[in-house]
Amino acid sequence: MPSASHNPVYNAPILDMRNSARFSHIAIVLLLCPFVFASNWQAPAEQLAQKIAAATGPGAVALDVANRSSLSQADADEIRRQLITELAVLGVHFVSADQAAATVRVSLSENLQNYVWVAEIHQGTNEPVVVMVAWPLLSPAMAEHPRSVLTIHKTLLFTDESRILDVALLNGNPQHMIVLQPENVVLFTLQNGHWQQDQAAPITHSHPWPRDLRGRLVLRKDHLFDAYLPGVFCRSTATAPLGLNCRDSDDPWPIGAAEFGLSAFFGPARNFFTGALSPGVGKQTTTSAFYSAAPLPRDKYMLWVFAAVDGQVHLLDGITDQLAGKLDWGSDIVSVRSGCGIGWQILATGNSDGPADTVKAFEIADRQAGAASEPAEFNGSVTALWTESDGTTAIAVSRNSETGKYEAYRLSITCGQ
Amino acid sequence: MRLTGFPLLVASSLLLATAANAAARPRYGGNLHVSMRAAPAALDPADASQTDWDGYHNVCSLIFETLVSLDEQGRPKPALAASWQAEPGNQRWQFSLRRGVTFADSAPVTPDLVAASLRRANPAWKVFSATDAVVIERDSPAPDLPAEMALPRNSIVRREAGQVIGTGPFVVAAWDPGKKLTLVARDQYWGGRPFLDSIEIEMGRNFRDQMISFDLGRAQLIEVAPEQTHRAAADGRRVENSSPMELMALVFDHAPQSAEDGHQREALALSIDRHLINDVVLQGGGEPAGGLLPDWMTGYGFLFAANVDLTRAQQERAEVPQAALWTLGFDVNDPVAHVVAERIVLSARDAGLRLQLATSSAADVRLVRIPLVSLDAHVALTELTAALGLPQPKFNGDSVDDLYAAENALLQTRRVIPLLHLRTACAVSTTVKGWSQTRDGSWRLPDAWLAAGKP
Repeated sequence: MPSASHNPVYNAPILDMRNSARFSHIAIVLLLCPFVFASNWQAPAEQLAQKIAAATGPGAVALDVANRSSLSQADADEIRRQLITELAVLGVHFVSADQAAATVRVSLSENLQNYVWVAEIHQGTNEPVVVMVAWPLLSPAMAEHPRSVLTIHKTLLFTDESRILDVALLNGNPQHMIVLQPENVVLFTLQNGHWQQDQAAPITHSHPWPRDLRGRLVLRKDHLFDAYLPGVFCRSTATAPLGLNCRDSDDPWPIGAAEFGLSAFFGPARNFFTGALSPGVGKQTTTSAFYSAAPLPRDKYMLWVFAAVDGQVHLLDGITDQLAGKLDWGSDIVSVRSGCGIGWQILATGNSDGPADTVKAFEIADRQAGAASEPAEFNGSVTALWTESDGTTAIAVSRNSETGKYEAYRLSITCGQ
Repeated sequence: MRLTGFPLLVASSLLLATAANAAARPRYGGNLHVSMRAAPAALDPADASQTDWDGYHNVCSLIFETLVSLDEQGRPKPALAASWQAEPGNQRWQFSLRRGVTFADSAPVTPDLVAASLRRANPAWKVFSATDAVVIERDSPAPDLPAEMALPRNSIVRREAGQVIGTGPFVVAAWDPGKKLTLVARDQYWGGRPFLDSIEIEMGRNFRDQMISFDLGRAQLIEVAPEQTHRAAADGRRVENSSPMELMALVFDHAPQSAEDGHQREALALSIDRHLINDVVLQGGGEPAGGLLPDWMTGYGFLFAANVDLTRAQQERAEVPQAALWTLGFDVNDPVAHVVAERIVLSARDAGLRLQLATSSAADVRLVRIPLVSLDAHVALTELTAALGLPQPKFNGDSVDDLYAAENALLQTRRVIPLLHLRTACAVSTTVKGWSQTRDGSWRLPDAWLAAGKP
């Protein structure tokens, strides 16, 4: 049973899996075709056939294959076919049980890490011989949910074992992607339709990260980007190679798209903003502690929507602080300029306890929020939701409840589809 | 741009807006009330005498940590050790320590302290401190040492002035031995401060009292007896089950003394209707077991027969001219064990065997419940055999065939008759969010948070 414990190696790469192509799965929406995991069972079938043939020798056997595992019936049928092929190569041919010199019952089973194929070989009155092979479990296929006439489009950007805090895409030729993770900022380049890692710059921090770590990337014009993390600010170099200067800092984080110029102070040991704003919304420089905020431009003023820690949604217009009433929103909201409907929509995470999560578009006409789309579904909780720098799209990160991996998506809204 | 349906959608959504008003992102704050059976007199992860292992382990894991932990697939992953490597032969291992980790009293975790902790827990090991690392030398190859390091007894502790201090996410604030424990979150915990401010644990509470506390809202997290899980869930409670992680078995103190003894043991094993015990006595709270390790852990557990075969049992019995009268011991404080033991006596009688219940520990055969303490199958089997008093398993390699061969050899000794693998279960209040438990039933309380908590 192969495992890390049985193949001792220096395991530092576990902490830095993004450096290894084995552990990261990168995709872009251009390639939104379903992921295909090749079900090639030839190698384990060959191994098991050799073990069976070593016990039976060439001759007539009766073979029965039973699937006790999570494999599909199609896979089980394919394994049976390959097993028969491999056994035939070794001089074993197949007859009914009453004509067989040996009967072989193969059980396709599995344990925590591997498929376990077990062959029980009965020959005459001898004690049955048991042989088996183990083969690593396949990752669950990350099947895309069928998309209907949704107005929210999900584009898978990046997948990794390690937590993804934010992702920023840099247009250009070639295209680049910056990924903010707890201990590194990683720069990727798009080559032949796949993201290839260029560089990783470590994030230095003197205090432990808080649980439910959050962080944000903000693209800059005079240098590549700034990264905001709880109690830490990092500034990138302006030119290649990528360098990162990090320092302890209580500087406020920009919230909303860059054009709105509002920042807020983040609790250095928590997962929320304290409520102190800089420079403020009009005359309002504080609000309740909040998880996220979203601006909605109005003709004569800016309406800011805050998803507060107490579960309320606050609407600040520079003068008043109103509650939006009872909404079924989660903690994370952003606004995007889609040009649809009244121009701007709020994307809000869901509020359910289940293993899945959703992001849904809302519009706030006057001070009443109403759904503007069907929910985009995620196979796990959404752990980050940030507006991208130009305000037209958002980045959502979810943790897949089946694979445990973090998946970063770009969310965009299209009209009336 | 088609906007026809847009206003309608907005309007309908307003009507459908629910009254739910909570946020989904974890909240910091709040006090979690827990109730459990375990009533330890001391909090020391090296204490192997605790009878209620699950509860005790769940408490200790909040205060103490190991160098290595295991993921859901039983694979070692870094904890207090950031990395490790073995020298050829797997006898000498070096574990590099994570930087910046402190004990609950803010003292730094040093290689010397780690080495001292491991030496005390494993007197037979040679443990040395090195620069930012500890080195462990074993007498024989130890390919499973990283997984072994994840065992609770290998938690890193500092003993000072009669106190045992850990590195875990919570620190003891108040402790009334065997009765009540109050833990508070550590702000400087290396893995991030837990969301909860504190946890109050009432100890020594039986299942019934725990359920009453739960229903009265006095406890938000309790243990549920395996045989009560279906009923507890049917009554509308949120009940979470582990994978079957506890072996219920019959154990003989010695190997068969004669061929007749072996036949009699085989007859007993074949006479027991494990499915009936599981379905009726345990209300489906476990799975019939023919092997020591559960099938989900090995993938081959189905090879060990768990079905009753009274005909064969009677044939085995017929090989014995005069069946000996055996006494069957069980834990008198465990009502389920009592019922199961009675059921076994009846089954044995059907096969022509004579068993007599006994409460003394000197019984010929004992009904025991032994938790599987690791998700690594090799380590689990090794620890299980030690707890059962069986010879240590001999692994010829690290393949699944080798594991099977080792387990099969242990069963062939006829020292043990596996009966069931039992699940552990708990009931969790709906106000507890972010709740999860590992496959082995360990609670992940540092990630839990309360819907009603304050920031």
